[in-house]
Amino acid sequence: MEKDSTDLVRMVGIRKWFGKVQALKGVDFDVRHAEVVGLLGDNGAGKSTLIKILSGYHTRDEGEIFVEGRKVSFSSPRQARELGIETVYQEQALVPYMSIARNIFMGREPAGVLGFMKRKDMNAQGMAALEKIDLHLRSPDTLIEMLSGGERQGVAIARALHFKAKLVILDEPTVALSIKESQQVLEFIQQLKKEGVAAIFITHNLHHVHPIADRFVVLNRGVKVADVLREEASIETLSQLIVSPPAQGI
Amino acid sequence: MFLVFVGFFLLFTFLSPEMRFVRPDNLRILLTDGSEFSIVVLGVGLLMICGEFDLSVGSILVFCSFLFIRLFQGGVNLFASLAAALAAGAAVGFLNGIITVKGRIPSFITTLGTMMFWRGITLLLSEGFTAAFDQGQSARFTAFLTGEVGGIVPVQALWFVGIALALGVVLHFHRFGNWVYATGGNLAAARAMGIRTDLVKIACFTIVGILCAFVGVTQAVRVSSFFSRAGDGWELKAVAASVVGATALMGGRGSMAAIFLGALVISIIENALVMLRITYFWTYMVFGFVIIASLLFRTWLEKSRPGR
Repeated sequence: MEKDSTDLVRMVGIRKWFGKVQALKGVDFDVRHAEVVGLLGDNGAGKSTLIKILSGYHTRDEGEIFVEGRKVSFSSPRQARELGIETVYQEQALVPYMSIARNIFMGREPAGVLGFMKRKDMNAQGMAALEKIDLHLRSPDTLIEMLSGGERQGVAIARALHFKAKLVILDEPTVALSIKESQQVLEFIQQLKKEGVAAIFITHNLHHVHPIADRFVVLNRGVKVADVLREEASIETLSQLIVSPPAQGI
Repeated sequence: MFLVFVGFFLLFTFLSPEMRFVRPDNLRILLTDGSEFSIVVLGVGLLMICGEFDLSVGSILVFCSFLFIRLFQGGVNLFASLAAALAAGAAVGFLNGIITVKGRIPSFITTLGTMMFWRGITLLLSEGFTAAFDQGQSARFTAFLTGEVGGIVPVQALWFVGIALALGVVLHFHRFGNWVYATGGNLAAARAMGIRTDLVKIACFTIVGILCAFVGVTQAVRVSSFFSRAGDGWELKAVAASVVGATALMGGRGSMAAIFLGALVISIIENALVMLRITYFWTYMVFGFVIIASLLFRTWLEKSRPGR
């Protein structure tokens, strides 16, 4: 796999310790523009840690990160967001009793000089953001608690897209959803790709991610054991790589 | 909610002997006393929306009213004394906020402590006395806080409405208001989106402090004296009023209009109980009943609302 200028994000030699436990033992990980990467691994493999470093929650102990060829160093989610990296959490980081529009612009409300929100803009832009991923909801004033799990994920994804994310990290996005809702979320992610946004999809559920990913990266106990294109590996092979000890990886 | 309010009003009008409730004298008392209390409720309600409680409101009130009187007696100009009292209220509120947020102590506990602390200091410094305050000094100042517009409407009511409008506008139309709802509704989400939830909470605590100080001074001027039991028991009444006004105890829900109405309802109930010659001890029972009834009513309303 060539590591050239088409890389959006490149992580090299990442090591991370939590006390005495080494969560990441020198992982190289990269993502191209508009690429969907499935990040796989069993519990404790280190995938959560890796993406938390990428989204600014943790700082790496060793290693380097490059965004669009430039070496970067960031230590907060806000800085990561400024670089175009957005994260969609399992619980979507949405406030149930607030409207869709307020949730989308939470913390980044368009406002006039005195700080009063431009609600018309918020509503219009909010609906436009939803349309971009093909999520059709009736009104920007609808409260989040009224939406289904799939629709909520959609709002979170639309939010990331609206704020010009170049990379959206999805941490187990389908874990609490019904089959139909999961399907909906997978379609949203495909829309992201059409908009030119890259995505990292972390999951335990290979069957969800397999149809939509371009590439798979498997971590096992802090070590990368596979980095393959979808065509190169079957679900069975990948499952095998997830559960067996690193020494036997590809 | 509005219907409840109107309902109560009519109920008490009819129940009171000789229509005493609507007589101007009583209405005046309601509008002054009730407005003063209600101003504090506005702050408490705002704080509850962002997810925190303040049990020390009565104590902030009495401390600032004491400070005001002391300064004035010491020869400080009236307006300067007022400013100092407001600043003190802000500082105490700020302290509540800092301790809660940075010390990671539940606000319930923090303000329980500060409630006792500030009232204690006030009692200590005032030695439990009641200070007289000569308001002949500045008629304009007195009128500013306690006069009447057109000889009829007590100015406190105007302050109440004005403050409610100001806070309401901020809460519903300003980005800070959005942050307040987000902080109360889902703290983790708010932080993940970059909202400085610590600052939001501290700001709300500070606002409560300022409002308590304001009411403390207003009361002192109105009754022309300082009394050390001022604001006693207000904390729970204020929470009750907020709850009645549809503010959720968990935070994240509520509106200034609802808090406004909740404050009115509690004020009216209290006033009406006196009018009906019901013994003071029944008051607490009635309040308790009202709180539970309004929560049950609201839960029932939500369950029977047409689902999505």
